Amino acid sequence: MIEVRSVAKSFAAPAPRGRRWLPARAHDLDAGGHRARSDPDARRVHAVRDVSLVARGGQITGLLGPNGAGKTTTLRMLAALITPDAGTLSVDGIDVATRPREVLARMGVLSDARGLYPRLTARENIVYYGALQGMERDAADARAQDLARMFEMTALLDRRSAGFSQGERMKTALVRALVHDPANIVLDEPTNGLDVLATRALRESLRWLRTPAGGSKCIVFSTHIMQEVERLCDSVVVVAHGRTVASGSVAELLQQTGESDFEEAFVKLAFVDERSGERSLA
Amino acid sequence: MRSGLAPFWVVLKKELVDALRDRRTLATVLVSSVLMGPLVLLAISGLVASLESRAEQREVYVAGLAHAPTLRNYLERQTYTVKEAPADFEARLRRSTFTDPVVVVPADFEAALVRGDVPVVEIVSDSANQRSEASTGRIERLLGGFSRERAVLSLALRGVSLQLLEPMQIEDRDLASTQTRSTRITGMLPYFVMMAVLYGALNAALDTTAGERERGSLEPLLMNPAERWSLVAGKWGAVACISMLIAVLSCFSFLPGQWVLRSDTLAAMFQYGPREALLFLVVLLPLAAALAAVLMAVAIRSRTFKEAQASATIVVLVVSLLPLVNLFELGGEAPWHLWTPALAQNTLMTRVLKGEDLGWVQILIPLSVCAVLTALGVWYVARQLRQAAVK
Repeated sequence: MIEVRSVAKSFAAPAPRGRRWLPARAHDLDAGGHRARSDPDARRVHAVRDVSLVARGGQITGLLGPNGAGKTTTLRMLAALITPDAGTLSVDGIDVATRPREVLARMGVLSDARGLYPRLTARENIVYYGALQGMERDAADARAQDLARMFEMTALLDRRSAGFSQGERMKTALVRALVHDPANIVLDEPTNGLDVLATRALRESLRWLRTPAGGSKCIVFSTHIMQEVERLCDSVVVVAHGRTVASGSVAELLQQTGESDFEEAFVKLAFVDERSGERSLA
Repeated sequence: MRSGLAPFWVVLKKELVDALRDRRTLATVLVSSVLMGPLVLLAISGLVASLESRAEQREVYVAGLAHAPTLRNYLERQTYTVKEAPADFEARLRRSTFTDPVVVVPADFEAALVRGDVPVVEIVSDSANQRSEASTGRIERLLGGFSRERAVLSLALRGVSLQLLEPMQIEDRDLASTQTRSTRITGMLPYFVMMAVLYGALNAALDTTAGERERGSLEPLLMNPAERWSLVAGKWGAVACISMLIAVLSCFSFLPGQWVLRSDTLAAMFQYGPREALLFLVVLLPLAAALAAVLMAVAIRSRTFKEAQASATIVVLVVSLLPLVNLFELGGEAPWHLWTPALAQNTLMTRVLKGEDLGWVQILIPLSVCAVLTALGVWYVARQLRQAAVK
């Protein structure tokens, strides 16, 4: 079970280059005629303002939001790569901030970056992570074999990953993240760059991992594609502009917005500011 | 939850396998760094051997030999073989196809000598032609001897004491041992060995830091429940191992290298046996460890391998320039030399080649400097790692 409560994170924006020495343009100046940049808060990018989500075991929870909504930052905070400015995160009741390594041992994360080691074979890539998770080499190897069968990549196992296609790389990275059989699985836009067949295969695998036979995993699946969510997720958390704007099952969200089409519902929920802008223009 | 030591070994082993599979890079390092030393040694020995053989030949080329029977007589008494120079010697000297300086005697040489006029004898060489230039001094001394003999004879005939001509006697006394003298020639060897160690560490250090960032494999790596310092220490261990391997190969490559020395003199002067090789390693291995850590610390700030190469150039430059303080002997040896990495190693290896013993203090000072550098580098990389992963 994964719980995220009201996390927030802002970054110092990189100083704009080149224009630093030029005279300020009108829109750079505030009411007093000073450069707006002198306000320290204006130079910060608020990636996440207030995101909350609860993902339970045996369910697939979709984290749905447009590009730049703060999905990746939230998942990085969950993996203890970034320390949140506010809020708490926990996995199976273990606090991420105080016991990050215990959390990571219970979680398999397929992050935004999913680079492999090109001079190692797929098997070596996978077993390396198994060993880092504290598994014996034989156990990690056996697990790699099982997962490879499940994701139909047995033929890839002993090839060096240098020449892998996008889909082959994704599969290898996914198996690598699952090698220690974690109870919680976090996938950041896993279908990026996958073709239809590979996407279908991934969906099938995730559905199976949700079942008791597959281990009743708690799966968090971030995406900006609503069809994915509609087809796969038991519950959805909609994130926009760094905030959780809605959560519930697909049916509940449709009901909440009074729409019959999920795409319409998503646009209504996630792009509320832009839509009000459109209306006022009209 | 396991201690940090298990991930350390896991990472070390993986990084070693990864680096050793990078065959092309390894081959380049081996050929350019490890073979370079012996090749230079071979080239030096070839040069020395040819100079030696020319000195042994005792030949002198003269243009206009027929005009100077007296000079010929003198040269032959000095057991020199006198040869007539080829007609186009000037052109051939310029083209470097003729390597001996030529003595040019004017047509009225003999008559001028008898009259007491001072005939002008030229020694023609091309200073751009290094081999002919090297023999000029020898010929100059030889002709100087002829002048002195003539002067002494004519003064002696007039009853002047010989001691008046030479009120002071000059004798050379060289304090250098054979080995010390040889370091003038072999002094660049430590430099080559050190470059081999540096280039050995360079690629692996960049690959495990900036390369990892560029591939996008650093972020997933940090999502494993291993402590950051153990990940970094494992990476550092692998880079240091590669660099040390190159150091070992490079140091021992001089052992077979000296069998092919063509000059007996040089072979006698260049004392480099297993003892010297081991002393070289004692000096070099800590440097390899420190360079690995420093290069990783420089590279972790770079997003791409290429960017890291640019930053690493500064390290390469410093390590290549510092030993030059020794080579040019700027102000002799100062105490701070031992506290400066690269310069200290160069100083100590030069001492080994001179046949001097290394004291414990001399070994411990650079060793502790390297240990501090290593610790700082690993600490810095571990500190930067999380930030580097997400940017």
